[in-house]
Amino acid sequence: MQGSNTLEKLPVGKDSNRLALRNARQSLNTVILGKERQLDLALACLLARGHLLVEDLPGLGKTVLAHAIAKTLGLSFNRIQFTSDLLPADIIGVSVFQKEKGEFVFQQGPIFSQLVLADEVNRATPKAQSALLEAMEEYQVSVDGTTRELPDPFFVVATQNPADQIGTFPLPESQLDRFLMRLELGYPNPANERELIIGEDRRTMLQSLEASMNVENLRALQSAASDMHMSDALVDYIQALVRQTRESPDIDIGLSPRGAQALAAAAKAHAFIEEHAGVYPDDVQAVFAAVAGHRLKASGNSTYRSNSELCQHVLDSVDIP
Amino acid sequence: MTKPRGTDGALLHSLPWTMLAMAVSFAAHIPFVPIWITAILLGSSLWRYSVERRRGNLPHPIVRAVLALLCFLGVFFTYDTISGVGPGSALLAVMAAMKFLETRRRRDQFVLLFIAIFLTMSALLREQYLWSLPFLVVSLMVTLTAWLQMSADSTAGIRQSAATGGRMLMYAAPVAIAMWIFFPRIATPFWSVPIDTGSAISGLDDQMSPGDISSLSLSNAVAFRVYFKTDPPPQKDLYWRGLILPEFSGRTWSASDWDTGIGDPPDKQLKVYGEPHHYQVTLEPTRQQWLFALDMPYDWEMKNSFMGRQQQLLSEHPVDQRVRYDVVSFPEYRAGVDINPMWRARYERLPSDSNPRAVALAKEMRAAADNDLAFIRSILRMFSEEAYFYTLQPPALGRNPVDQFLFETRQGFCEHYASAFAVMMRAAGIPSRVVLGYQGGEMNGDYMIVRQADAHAWTEVWMDGLGWRRFDPTAAVAPERVDAGRAGAVFDGIGETWGMSAPSEFIYNMTLTWDSLNAKWNELVLGYGPENQERFMEWLGMDNPDWRKMMFTLVSLVAAFVFLISMLMLYRNLPPRRDPAARLYRRFVKRSGLELKTGETPDAFAARAASASRLREADIVAVTRAYLAARYDPTDENSVAALQNAVSAARR
Repeated sequence: MQGSNTLEKLPVGKDSNRLALRNARQSLNTVILGKERQLDLALACLLARGHLLVEDLPGLGKTVLAHAIAKTLGLSFNRIQFTSDLLPADIIGVSVFQKEKGEFVFQQGPIFSQLVLADEVNRATPKAQSALLEAMEEYQVSVDGTTRELPDPFFVVATQNPADQIGTFPLPESQLDRFLMRLELGYPNPANERELIIGEDRRTMLQSLEASMNVENLRALQSAASDMHMSDALVDYIQALVRQTRESPDIDIGLSPRGAQALAAAAKAHAFIEEHAGVYPDDVQAVFAAVAGHRLKASGNSTYRSNSELCQHVLDSVDIP
Repeated sequence: MTKPRGTDGALLHSLPWTMLAMAVSFAAHIPFVPIWITAILLGSSLWRYSVERRRGNLPHPIVRAVLALLCFLGVFFTYDTISGVGPGSALLAVMAAMKFLETRRRRDQFVLLFIAIFLTMSALLREQYLWSLPFLVVSLMVTLTAWLQMSADSTAGIRQSAATGGRMLMYAAPVAIAMWIFFPRIATPFWSVPIDTGSAISGLDDQMSPGDISSLSLSNAVAFRVYFKTDPPPQKDLYWRGLILPEFSGRTWSASDWDTGIGDPPDKQLKVYGEPHHYQVTLEPTRQQWLFALDMPYDWEMKNSFMGRQQQLLSEHPVDQRVRYDVVSFPEYRAGVDINPMWRARYERLPSDSNPRAVALAKEMRAAADNDLAFIRSILRMFSEEAYFYTLQPPALGRNPVDQFLFETRQGFCEHYASAFAVMMRAAGIPSRVVLGYQGGEMNGDYMIVRQADAHAWTEVWMDGLGWRRFDPTAAVAPERVDAGRAGAVFDGIGETWGMSAPSEFIYNMTLTWDSLNAKWNELVLGYGPENQERFMEWLGMDNPDWRKMMFTLVSLVAAFVFLISMLMLYRNLPPRRDPAARLYRRFVKRSGLELKTGETPDAFAARAASASRLREADIVAVTRAYLAARYDPTDENSVAALQNAVSAARR
C-alpha cells in the first residue's frame, strides 16, 4: 500500500516525546514480529484516546500485544478474563467491611488500571459486559453511590474469539461503536513464524521489555496527535467516504456522525505516528477498515464476504478530492 | 384472473391532493354540465377516499362496469350525442369518477392527473376569458403539486412539492410565451370545435313574435364592444342595425334565405351625405351571420362579409368566434330609393285575415291624414298620447296579437310597438319592415359596451323619394328608453319602471373596470391572430414575416431557452470548483499517460506511475510531494507555486 516515499515526513529532531514514540514502535516490533501495520493502528488508537477491540483466533498474540503495549508505554496493566460467571463487582471492585476500622472500605477491581485487557469479552454475560462498556464510556465507575474516577490515561483492549460462538454473548452492534478500532491480527508470515518457533519465548521477552516513555510523554503525544491539522480537502474526503457508506446499496447501516469523528481522530493519530507533515488520504485509508469495519452492517444482498472487503470496496469507489 | 382489490392506505397521503387537482380542474365545467355528473365525480372520489381510510376493498369489477355503462348512457341521453365540448367534458368527468373507483396504485393516479389536465384544457375549448389564465395557472399548479406529492415518498411536505411545481411552471412559462408569440397563426383554424347546439346564447333570435314572450330578461352579457375613431353619436342615434325582418305571418316577423343573400354593393344601394362615423366593433360570438352597424354602413373591412339586400352587414359564416371589423357609417343617407316593384309588394304584404281591427284603424287614420308623413306622425302621437305603456312584463297575446295589443292590453316593449307600427304601415299601403338590433351603449373609458339588454326592435318605412327611413315607435311611448340609454336609466330610477333594480354603484363601476380589462385582454391576447401577429413581427423588425421565419425564430428561442435552463441546472449540480492544486495535479496525471483510479491516493499513484509511466521517477515524487503539501499540509505557504514548477518540470 505504501508505494513510494512521497509522503513527507516531519523532522523529528530533538522532540523527546516523538523520540520516545519512535523507540516504543521499535521495541514493540521486536516482540511482535511482522505486524507493523496492526501495531501502528493499535498505537494510533491509543493516541486518539480510543479503545481497541482485537478479534482473532486464540494463539495469535492478542494478549501479548496488549501486554507489550502496556509495558512499552509504561502503563499499569490488568487483565480480566471474562467468563460466563463474571460479575460486575469482579470488574469494578466491591466494598468490604473492615472490622478494625468499623467501616466499609472499597476494594478496587481490576478495571482501575491504565491499560485493561478484557480477554474474551464475549464470554461474559451482558451485565458484566455493560459494566465494562460503561466504564469505557464514562471514564469513571459508580459503586455504592460513590463515583470513582478511573486512572488517566485509561485504555481498554478487549479481545474476542470469533470462531467459537457456543455459550457466548456477542457484543451488540450499538456497543461495538464504543471501540474506536477493531483489529484482526492474522497469521504471521512463514519467516516470522520460524523466528517465533526458534527464538525466545515472547512472555519472557515481555518481562525484560523496558518502558520507552512515561505517562507525561503519552499525554503530550495524545494532545499533539489531536492537534494535527486536517485540510479542507481531507475533510471532504472523510465526508465523501461517510456518505458512500450511507448510500451504498451494499450497506444497510452506514457510519454515524460519531463514526465520522472516530475516522478523523484515528486518521490524525495515524498521520502523527507516521510522522507525516499533514494528514494525508493515505492515513484515512490506512485506518478506514479498522475504524469503519465493525460499525457497518452489510446488506443482505451484499456480495462482500467480510466487512474488511466491504471497507476496501468503499475506498475503491470514492474519488479523493 | 382478477386483480386484488384490497387497499393498504399507501395512497392516503397523496389521494387528497389528486382529488383537489380533479376538483379544481373540473370547477370550470360545473356550470355547464348536468348536476348529476358533478355529484358522481364528488361521490366516487369521496367513496374512494373512505375505502383508503378503512383499508377496505375497491368495488367489484362488475359493479364498476355497470356503473360505467350507466354513466355513459346517462351522458348519451343527456346530450343525444357524445361529440362536442359539452358531452366530451361530461365524459371526461365520468371517466375520472370511474377511474377513482379502480385506482389502486400510483400508476392509476397518473391517469387521474392526466384526466385533470384534459379537463383543464377542455374548459378552454368552451370559452376563453381573462379569468381563464389564472384558472389555468392555478389548475396546472395544483395538478403538478399533486403529481409531485404522489411521486415523492410520504415524508415530503406539501410546501416542497408546491415549490417544485411552481419552479417547473416557471421554467415552462417562457417557452409557452415564445410559442404563443411566434407559432405561425393561420387564418383558418386546423380544426373547428363542435358547437353545442343545445346551449342557448342570449341575444337576438332570427325572428320576432311579439306576444309569445311574456317577460323579457335583461342580460348584462356583452353583445359587442365599439371603439369610436370619430366622436360617438348621441345616445338617441345609436341604432345598431342587425337583421331585417320583411315577412309577416300575422304573428311572426321573419327573414327568408333570400333576405340574407348577397345584395348590390353599397354604392348601388345607398347615397350618403355628411360626416361619417368611423368605428371598430368587436363582436362576441353569436353563431349567427349578421354583423351590427350604425345606420347606414357604407364601408367596412372584414374578410368573408358582404352587404345584404336591405343594407345590412352579413358574414358568410356564422360568427363562432369573437370577430372584429371596422365600419364607416353615415347618419344621413338615401337607401333603396329606386325600389323594385316586386320587392315593394313584399314589404306591403299582410296576411289577409289577420288583425282586421288594426288594418281598419290604419286605413281610417290614413284617410284622415294629408300624406304619409302626417299619417306616421298621427300613429306615433297615438302611442305617446293615448294610454299605451312600456313594460318588460306584458301579458301574453292571442290569435291576432296586433289587434289585441292595440285595443286591449296596450302594454308591451319594443317588439310590440315595432310590430304594430309596421303592420299599420302595410295596412295603409306603405312599405315597411322590422329591424332587430341594439339601441344605445355605454361608454367605458375609450370604448363603448353594448349589452344584450340593449337589444331593441324598430321599424324602417319606405317613403317616396327618401327611401327607407327609420322610425322607432318605442321612442314615442318611452322616450327615456332611447334618450337616456339603459345605463343612465338605471341610476335615474327610470329603470325601475322596466323592472330593474338599481345595483350598487360601486359594484357597477367594478364590473365596468373588469369589462375594460376583458376588452384589452380580448384585443391583445385572444385576438392575436394572423394580422396582429404579422404586425407584431414587423414591429419586432422582421421583414416580410412568413411562417418559415417565425418557426425559425421560435425554434431558436426555445432551443436557447432550454440550453439556458440546462446550463443553470448543470451549474447548480456542479461539484465545487477544483482548487488550483487539484487542477495542476490533474494535468500531471494526464501527462503521465495513466488514469487515476477511484480511491487511489497520490502516494499510491506515484508508486504505480514510477514503474508504468513515461515520466521520470524523481519528477513523479517531486510533483506528488508538492501536491500533497499544497493540498493537505496547510503550513506550506508557497506550495501551489512549487507544484506548478514541479508539474512543468515533469516531462518526458
